Amino acid sequence: MADSANAPKPSSSVKLVLLGEAAVGKSSLVLRFVNNDFQENKEPTIGAAFLTQKCNLPSRTIKFEIWDTAGQERFASLAPMYYRNAQAALVVYDLTKPTSLIKAKHWVAELQRQASPGIVIALVGNKLDLTNDSESGQGDAEGAEGEESGDARKVSTDEAKSYAEEENLLFFETSAKTGHNVSEVFTAIANAIPETSLKSTRGPGVSNAVGRGGDEQRVNLNGPREAAKEGCAC
Amino acid sequence: MFNNFSSFVQKAQSAAQQLIDPMQGLNLTNSDKNPSKSSLFQNQFRLPSSQTPLYEIPAELTIPPSNVTQGDKERDRGWHYAGKLHLSESYICFSTTSTSFVHTASTSTSSAFTGQTHGGGPSGNGFTFPLCAIRRVERLNSQNFQFALAITTWNGISQELAKDKDALKDKKDFREQRITIQLAGSRQACERFCDGLKKGLRTAVGNVGKCKRVVAECYSEYLLRPEEMKNAPSPDAGLGLIFRYPGDPKKLRDRAKMRLWAEFLRDNGRNATLIRQPTFHKLIRVGLPNRLRGEMWELTSGSFYLRLENPTLYAETLAKFSGKESLAIDEIEKDLNRSLPEYPGFQSEEGIHRLRRVLTAYSWIDPEVGYCQAMNIVVAALLIYMSEAQAFFLLSALCDRLVPGYYSSTMYGTLLDQKVFESLVEKTMPILWEHLVKSDVQLSVVSLPWFLSLYINSMPLVFAFRVLDVFFVEGPKVLFQVGLAILRINGEDLLDATDDGAFISVLKSYFSRLDESAHPKSENPKLRAINRFQELMVVAFKEFSGITHSSIQDLRLKNKDAVLNNIENFAKRTAIRNLGPDSKLLSAEELGSLYDRFYTILYERQQRDHIIQEEQLRRAKHNKTRATEAFAERHDHGVEKGRVGLGPSTSLMDYDAFREFLASIAKWAISDAPASPRRNQSSEKDRSPYFGSFRRSESNLLTPWGGGPEPAEHEFMQRLFRRWDVDSSSTLTLQNVVTGLAQIKGKRDIMGTITYFFELYDDDGDGKVDREGILRISEALLFLSRRGLEGALSNSNSSAMLNGMADSEPGSMSPPIGGTVNERFLGSISAFIRRCFEYADPDHPNNHFGTAQHASSGPDASPFPTASQVADNDAFAIGDDDDDEDDLLAFDGPPEPSSTTNTPDNGSIPPALGKPAGGSGTERTVSKAQSEKANVALDPSNPLYMTLPTFRMVVLADELLEQFFESSFPTSLHIVDGLPNATYQSSSSLTTFSNLNFGRAAAAPIPVPQPGAAAPGRSLRGVLDNIVTDASRVAAEVRRRMEEAQGELEKNAVPGQKDDEEDDEEDLQGLVRSAGGDPERRSVRSSDRDLLDGADADAGAAKGQEGSSQSILDANDEGGRPNPASSAIQGIVEFES
Repeated sequence: MADSANAPKPSSSVKLVLLGEAAVGKSSLVLRFVNNDFQENKEPTIGAAFLTQKCNLPSRTIKFEIWDTAGQERFASLAPMYYRNAQAALVVYDLTKPTSLIKAKHWVAELQRQASPGIVIALVGNKLDLTNDSESGQGDAEGAEGEESGDARKVSTDEAKSYAEEENLLFFETSAKTGHNVSEVFTAIANAIPETSLKSTRGPGVSNAVGRGGDEQRVNLNGPREAAKEGCAC
Repeated sequence: MFNNFSSFVQKAQSAAQQLIDPMQGLNLTNSDKNPSKSSLFQNQFRLPSSQTPLYEIPAELTIPPSNVTQGDKERDRGWHYAGKLHLSESYICFSTTSTSFVHTASTSTSSAFTGQTHGGGPSGNGFTFPLCAIRRVERLNSQNFQFALAITTWNGISQELAKDKDALKDKKDFREQRITIQLAGSRQACERFCDGLKKGLRTAVGNVGKCKRVVAECYSEYLLRPEEMKNAPSPDAGLGLIFRYPGDPKKLRDRAKMRLWAEFLRDNGRNATLIRQPTFHKLIRVGLPNRLRGEMWELTSGSFYLRLENPTLYAETLAKFSGKESLAIDEIEKDLNRSLPEYPGFQSEEGIHRLRRVLTAYSWIDPEVGYCQAMNIVVAALLIYMSEAQAFFLLSALCDRLVPGYYSSTMYGTLLDQKVFESLVEKTMPILWEHLVKSDVQLSVVSLPWFLSLYINSMPLVFAFRVLDVFFVEGPKVLFQVGLAILRINGEDLLDATDDGAFISVLKSYFSRLDESAHPKSENPKLRAINRFQELMVVAFKEFSGITHSSIQDLRLKNKDAVLNNIENFAKRTAIRNLGPDSKLLSAEELGSLYDRFYTILYERQQRDHIIQEEQLRRAKHNKTRATEAFAERHDHGVEKGRVGLGPSTSLMDYDAFREFLASIAKWAISDAPASPRRNQSSEKDRSPYFGSFRRSESNLLTPWGGGPEPAEHEFMQRLFRRWDVDSSSTLTLQNVVTGLAQIKGKRDIMGTITYFFELYDDDGDGKVDREGILRISEALLFLSRRGLEGALSNSNSSAMLNGMADSEPGSMSPPIGGTVNERFLGSISAFIRRCFEYADPDHPNNHFGTAQHASSGPDASPFPTASQVADNDAFAIGDDDDDEDDLLAFDGPPEPSSTTNTPDNGSIPPALGKPAGGSGTERTVSKAQSEKANVALDPSNPLYMTLPTFRMVVLADELLEQFFESSFPTSLHIVDGLPNATYQSSSSLTTFSNLNFGRAAAAPIPVPQPGAAAPGRSLRGVLDNIVTDASRVAAEVRRRMEEAQGELEKNAVPGQKDDEEDDEEDLQGLVRSAGGDPERRSVRSSDRDLLDGADADAGAAKGQEGSSQSILDANDEGGRPNPASSAIQGIVEFES
């Protein structure tokens, strides 16, 4: 917590929310990113799970506060509770399930209208290990694991990519199982967060925050005006 | 451990009789504030909803001292409890008051978690006996002239044992369960109760076998089995029997618990015949032994009684739906491998299969819930301790009663209880609450999973099951008490946490250390022995003993609306966003209103249905016996259904709902007759099965349309419905409705609307509408216009006052203008019919009359002179360069010569169809040199059809029709603002032929050869009859309206109408004016129409056969009954001048 004091690099925390259809691998992506681990049968997330992980950039350190949400349709109405004040969102779909991309698009639309303005959204096609191009991905010794059953890909890279470009989203295809591209997603998000919307983690600013202090910290992010000043303070 | 029984008894006896607390609602309704007696009764004893309280009577229960255990002296006297005895259809229940053991426990020992049990659930002492578990009831001679009953149960008597009565007597260790009950009511009341009991017992006899079979599946039967059955197989007590139960049995002291329970069950009966005494609740608080846990959960939650009621439901459901697929099943499959994966049973096929079967079966019997994540975890937990069937019924009890709405499709119950929990935290721990608010930590982020998975996911399993033990007896308040206790115990640490992450990690680490000592540094070894979980239980049930069912229920009611609104806003937002590409044609506001209207109508209809059903039920009950009548309030709590927030029970609109929907946005869709029985007779009858309604059985008790206007019924609406129902499911989704409306309103393009209309009537989609269709179209036009037209109707000055509603009121009519737009529109319609037939294409080219015409105007593809050619033609003036103009002219132009030649005997030339100037206000001139020969086509013996281009042409030929399609029809659908509150009930406000004085004279049709005589004096109906027999429907429509109006007039309603009807003079004037005498109208309004009409008349004059068109012209000109000749002549004169 006192990072900023010890480390030369400024540190700031970013609230990130994961959204997407059930069983597309949201929790697995997080688990890979946070613990570099993979579980075949991960319990479904009830409500939401919360994890944190740091991401070191050359210029600063980002501490991700990750909200991993439940994917089942009926949990959707809980989502606003979780994406409230989020600065970044990972919208995940399953490369082998076209419907999951449709759901992902719904989420993108929801976020664009309802979440904090300026939220950084990354569209992530997961389960690359189930497709043929898993080996073609760079640096994949483990990628071979996934090739057992031929190509299960049902969503073409182009389709998703062009959608992502249209909507101005970051776009990645990942495999939580092999770890392919996972940390890249988070790094890209970290880089995409505008400097101005960063606040320092538990910086001196927190102590002055009175009333709905948290609100102040985060709501500011919406409008860059004041946040910019605070952000510069660290 | 159990030596203070006597004090229990005394306290129980002295406790004041208290009203039963309102229990957790099955559904949150207004009646929750005032729960019905039967729901209280069902909740108190956890009975199925089939049970209603028939009789109740104060009574004293006496349980004889056990002769098995030697015990202490107090026991020898047996136990007495004062309480109330209840009788329902198949149960007899006894309960002391719900506060039967207050202040009993000390907190110092680990076993002392006994606190208050306010409220519902089988908390007090007593029993819940299914009548089929009773073997014998005797009336005792009581010393006080009181009624006393001795009840002997089947307790411990299995089916085999019962058969062999001697064996039973011989058994030394067997002791009948026999209790005595003294009734403390008036003699009459006692007699009544006994009569009821007798009746109930008689009916229950048939179920004794069933009861024994169900009971045989209980582990307690095995536990207490007689010596000679030592080798009987154990009943299924869950996966734990195979894969071991979680936790260390030694640490859990499972054996000791088992011994205690065995003793209790032996003394007090088991499963169906168990009698709750204070020890029962104490035993539950210290944690159930593994192998009895499932059975006790089943018993305390009441799911046992569900199983007893329908023991084979589970197996039947599985069999019935075997092999079927559903969305829920897909969702279940995804989660099967991730439900308590750390428990070995769920790493095995056996466990996974059981889980799949239970979840699947439940998703079938409760499709509204289907499957919700977290159910997999809960059911997995249940399956460790109970059989599949037991888990199935327990899940049902959970979803319906214990945690209602938690797993529903909107999860409103979960969200609601989060709000309740938050307000409880705010109330009980204000400092912590303030801190949470300050640090912007959302409590429900941590607490929601606690509630949703009943702590199974949050705590180590062994402790979660302890919470469940109490939860099933005492109900959902336990979840709140435990949650509050967790926060209270961790209060200081939580106050240090300033963000979600820290907050969560404090609690995480707390849960992981639940088995550690709560007071590790204490000198007192007893205190040191208390672990954190025990501390948690004490805090939960001691410190938060004030949290009762009623306080939770109050908070639920308070927060309900806000929660539902939230959900509904979210659902609305999401739904609207996902309505498909057509929805973009409508504005956001329109979509929002559409959404609201759609669901409001569905919701209100369901509510109404419910009320109607109730009313019917009530009526039915009137015929029942007096006894049942007294308590016949079973259905009096209105279950709220259909509200989006509760998980709409339907999102489909049937045809009747569709009509209601239309009636809320378009005045033409409102029925003409205020309370017309006609609807039920005729319209229902001729409806095809396609237009099935979800609510067939309408009673006359209440208006089926609620407070809104009664919707009309018209073929047009059926067509619209069918058109919108793209997947022919006889129902519309919101998306169907939006798409349907978007196609009408969204395009704002006249050609689109015309095409749309045409397609509505092009049944087989071949681009042709036959005679039938043409007539139906005109009927539809009449139908749509009968309440007046709306929208921007004319570009001419005279139509400035064209406002549908104003128009239809004669009083508001401005004097100089004789005919309102609406009236003139009738003319347009009749002209439309005529022209349609005129320009329709014969089906058979070799028709003797139509040959030439067909050659020229028949096939769409037939080559016409180019537009430029036509434009050169002096007979036409091109209004503007509307795209379609060329077509139209091209179409119009050429046929004329040919038609003239075709019918040489026709002296005059009928007007072509003047092309109106597309609403641009351009001056228009129209050819009037047109012959009227085309009515050959009206001959019914000539099959004919009309193509889309013809239809367009015909529509565009008439300014009013054009405007109708361009603006009036689309704007008649008031999506956003709806209809003003005016009532449209009276038919006197309708614009119909009859209202306008058409055809009031005799219906005698005159096959007029002479032009002059042709026009007036003839009823429209007669004329139409004359035109084509097929037109009879139009006629019928006209006649119907006529009669209606007449009836109305006879009642002499509207003063304005009087003028019209009674004053022939004025009528005549009006006629003259409207017929063309009004200079303003004639000059400003484009003259094309008048000219056309005039020409028609000309034609008629020239050719007797065309009488039909003339009579239509009459209508056009607002029919001159009084002076037929003059009006017609006048018309002609006018035009020619």
